[in-house]
Amino acid sequence: MKLSYYPGCSLEGMAGDYARSITAVFKHLGIDLIELKDWTCCGSTAAHSLSEIMSVVLPARNLAIAEELGLDIICPCAMCFNRLRFSQEMVKKKIFDIPWNVTGDIQVHDMTRFLSEPEIITRIKKQVVRPLSKLKVVCYYGCQMVRLPRIAGDIDYENPQTMDKLLEAVGAQVIDWSYKSTCCGASIGIARKDIQGSLTGRILHKARQTGANAIIVSCPLCQSNLDIIQKNISGRAMPVFYFTELLHLAFEEKSADKRFRTHFTSPVPLLREKGLLP
Amino acid sequence: MTHNHIPVQDALPEHTDKKERKLIGDRGDYFLNRIVGETEENISACYQCERCTNACPVCHYMDIKPHQVIRYIQMGWREELMHSSTIWVCLSCEMCTTYCPNEVGVAETINHLRNMAVHSSIMPKERHLAVFHQTFMEELLRYGRVNELWLMNAFNLKPKILKDKIRMGTLKEEILLGLTLLKKGRLNLLPRKSKAIKEIKKVYRMRRGDIV
Repeated sequence: MKLSYYPGCSLEGMAGDYARSITAVFKHLGIDLIELKDWTCCGSTAAHSLSEIMSVVLPARNLAIAEELGLDIICPCAMCFNRLRFSQEMVKKKIFDIPWNVTGDIQVHDMTRFLSEPEIITRIKKQVVRPLSKLKVVCYYGCQMVRLPRIAGDIDYENPQTMDKLLEAVGAQVIDWSYKSTCCGASIGIARKDIQGSLTGRILHKARQTGANAIIVSCPLCQSNLDIIQKNISGRAMPVFYFTELLHLAFEEKSADKRFRTHFTSPVPLLREKGLLP
Repeated sequence: MTHNHIPVQDALPEHTDKKERKLIGDRGDYFLNRIVGETEENISACYQCERCTNACPVCHYMDIKPHQVIRYIQMGWREELMHSSTIWVCLSCEMCTTYCPNEVGVAETINHLRNMAVHSSIMPKERHLAVFHQTFMEELLRYGRVNELWLMNAFNLKPKILKDKIRMGTLKEEILLGLTLLKKGRLNLLPRKSKAIKEIKKVYRMRRGDIV
């Protein structure tokens, strides 16, 4: 199976560990990821805040490259996924004059949604050598991956299940909670730390109340936001994992201490306690 | 005694004149029609149920609440909207649009107002945020991709930003955070340039209205 892969800017910088774990997980599953040649930034929040046209034109270029390849795109980053889907919808409507050769016929997959399809779940179950059965987790999806339902194409936008399914497949105990898709306010943190603090604090508080050991995310911005802000919050910090990091942990018996060194809240003590690391 | 029609202004007691009273519909439907035309949202379908405001995670920080934004557009009160903090505080998390019973695109409308504010000469209420977005676009157009370290450096070099940060006392914390991130290997020292940057620049210039 082949897919074209659009990593996005974060995966080259802040979320390098996400990128590495994705490569490892897809190697185990036997799916080839072909990185789009010369991809460019999707524009993120800045593009649509300043100019709606740029927010359609910029992602459309990446769609055009994928269409040339003829392969469906898979996006690990929630924001990139949302922007590509939005651009695709607008390209289909033919409102703007797009300078690239693009029709919008190709499919854009969100990574969690692609992996949680039944066929791939069975493959994942076969790969597990170290079940994470003692780990209690809550999955946090964030806003851009599920909303707008019209754009993101998710039926379960109030109670998304994709990551829950994946984590259950590797044996973790997934706890249901009601803050799955509440915004964490990362995009406003640059100017208004108070708003960011109150939104993120509420999510962390609720996650702790459920009795979970860790938060699982799929968005690079959510991860850095939830992880970094915990150094200012009292009480026991909760590690924040990318879902692929835990899949990778379950797929390999090798020691993995070094993989988690980029985390602010080190998950190594927790994983040792649960017998997942030596 | 017959009940003659009394003009609204005459009916006001004199001591309320401190703030100029706004009249409903005194500017006609011009602004409403413009917004509807540009965004294709059915603004007139809003019946003020306030579901958007109740869904909004940041509505306490807004001076004009999301449902009021829609009402203000119906009234044609453009200046108030352009000067408001709402259009900058909005996170575009799309909660409001998702839960609107009449499918009014509240988040899209607020985003469109933000676009309009950028192109107007009005000083944005959340200046840092506006400057950050602008810096992000500039970095994007320089390299094609965005490097966090270079983005933050460029942002700090914008006028008044560094001064504000020193005054608020957040600069030291930010530098320490940056150093920790570097130590943990989460930042790239050099930006990666996409080879397609010429195309992107050309498109941007075309959009901006440059001839070359």
